[in-house]
Amino acid sequence: MKTNDSLTNFLITAARIIKMSAISFWRNRWLSLTTTLIIILTLLIISVFTFLSLIINKTASSMREKVDLEVYLKDSDSEDQVAALSELISSRPEVTGIKYITKDDALEKWRTKYATDQSLQNIITETDNPLPRSLQVKTKNPEDIGLVAEFLQNEDYAPLIAKLSYQQNKDMIDRLVKITSFVKKVGSGLSVLFLIISIMVVYNAIKLTIFARSEELEIMRLVGATDAYVRMPFVLEGIIYGLLAAIVSSLGLIISFKFLNPMVARYLSDIGYDVSAFMSSALYQVVGIQFLVALFLGIFCSFWATRQHLRKDF
Amino acid sequence: MIEFQHVTKKYAGGIVAVDDVSFKIAKGEFVALVGPSGAGKSTLIKMLTREESPTSGRILVADRDIFQLRERELPYYRRKVGVIFQDFKLLSKKTVYENVAFALEVAGVLPKVIKKRVNEMLTLVGLENRANALSEALSGGEKQRVSIARALIHEPKLLIADEPTGNLDPVNSWEIVELLFKINKQGTIVLLATHDKEIVDAIHKRVISMKDGKIVDDRENGKYLL
Repeated sequence: MKTNDSLTNFLITAARIIKMSAISFWRNRWLSLTTTLIIILTLLIISVFTFLSLIINKTASSMREKVDLEVYLKDSDSEDQVAALSELISSRPEVTGIKYITKDDALEKWRTKYATDQSLQNIITETDNPLPRSLQVKTKNPEDIGLVAEFLQNEDYAPLIAKLSYQQNKDMIDRLVKITSFVKKVGSGLSVLFLIISIMVVYNAIKLTIFARSEELEIMRLVGATDAYVRMPFVLEGIIYGLLAAIVSSLGLIISFKFLNPMVARYLSDIGYDVSAFMSSALYQVVGIQFLVALFLGIFCSFWATRQHLRKDF
Repeated sequence: MIEFQHVTKKYAGGIVAVDDVSFKIAKGEFVALVGPSGAGKSTLIKMLTREESPTSGRILVADRDIFQLRERELPYYRRKVGVIFQDFKLLSKKTVYENVAFALEVAGVLPKVIKKRVNEMLTLVGLENRANALSEALSGGEKQRVSIARALIHEPKLLIADEPTGNLDPVNSWEIVELLFKINKQGTIVLLATHDKEIVDAIHKRVISMKDGKIVDDRENGKYLL
């Protein structure tokens, strides 16, 4: 028999294997469909939870960055007193930055905030500005804010300070952190559960095709087909399941994203990062994850299912 | 060419299927392996095709211990050992041509080579006019001829026929035996396992008789003794 390892030879074998897997996929189309649907479901569950936890995480961390301690100063404080206080606060190890907001700065902020509301804007003018000066203190961790606040309640400094503001944001962040860990727990639990279901379904689907073709496989080995030749159609079939599922669920994800993105972006517009851009980049990550998971499922299950079959000599 | 050296096969439960069997088969021989059911013929054949491994002893084919072959060498070994069975093992939804071509396809042979080889083989077994018939539509004798064509497609040095006439009527059986003679004349070793007394007694070939896992007789121009 003539054997050569030329490219044509390889291509012909590849073509034969691809043809076999395509035929097998089509012959068992209902089984193939069910299998693919289960993978789609799994991918969607993984995607949705990955997405949710990415967004909540990002929101929490961006809020965390924004958390600072606003130290409102009394109008009666002298600039020297303010400078000394600022010096004192910034010397604390947990403080990473401090910014002095003058009355003019405060007014500027007021105007930006109510740019669309002329009546509110006009309440305050340069000459009649009741807005207090303040020190914006940034800390390494949000938890450190409590320490700084406590320190400032000391009787030496308390008289200089009109009000400390930090509580509100902290509550919000605590809640977000809790939600994130909840979403992560539920998400990873469900993802693992569905991954296991998928693995079992894909494994069984391939086992069934092997079973349906056992006669043919026996003959293949009898006439001297290599293990790789026997195995490849099943591995390809697994890859087809995975790829089809990944394509469908990615499309589903992208389409629903197009609808949901504007809504979510509007809803989270106050958060202070570009929600839309973040979500778009997250989308590609999630689609990438989908393809990886799907390919892993297909290849892993088909290798596993054929392994046992190849073990026993024909 | 083929040598069994003190081959013993024990199955779980203490059943000894083949018990210290030694024999040689030279190039070009035609050997009938006879004996009642349970004598160990099938186990012996399964060891020769490496479906089963012996508990002890060695089997040499072309001076090589076949149990030293690596897993990936096995397909190439099997291409050099043709096997036909009582139940033919054909793909019923495929044509005669496809069934034979299949053995070359799995070996990565080019289409035009396949066409030439398959046609040669079908001519050899006398089925050149039935190439496009579905194998399920064939008679038993024709089916066995297809399986012979397939077994010979890789030009094996050894053709093992495991009860090839077990499902055939006497006329068809003789056609198959004639075909095996023809193949043997072209230089291929034929190992014919059978318990068809009539055939064994008529062919005047070497007969190895087995009983209870042992070889009880081995002679040229033998008869079916048991």
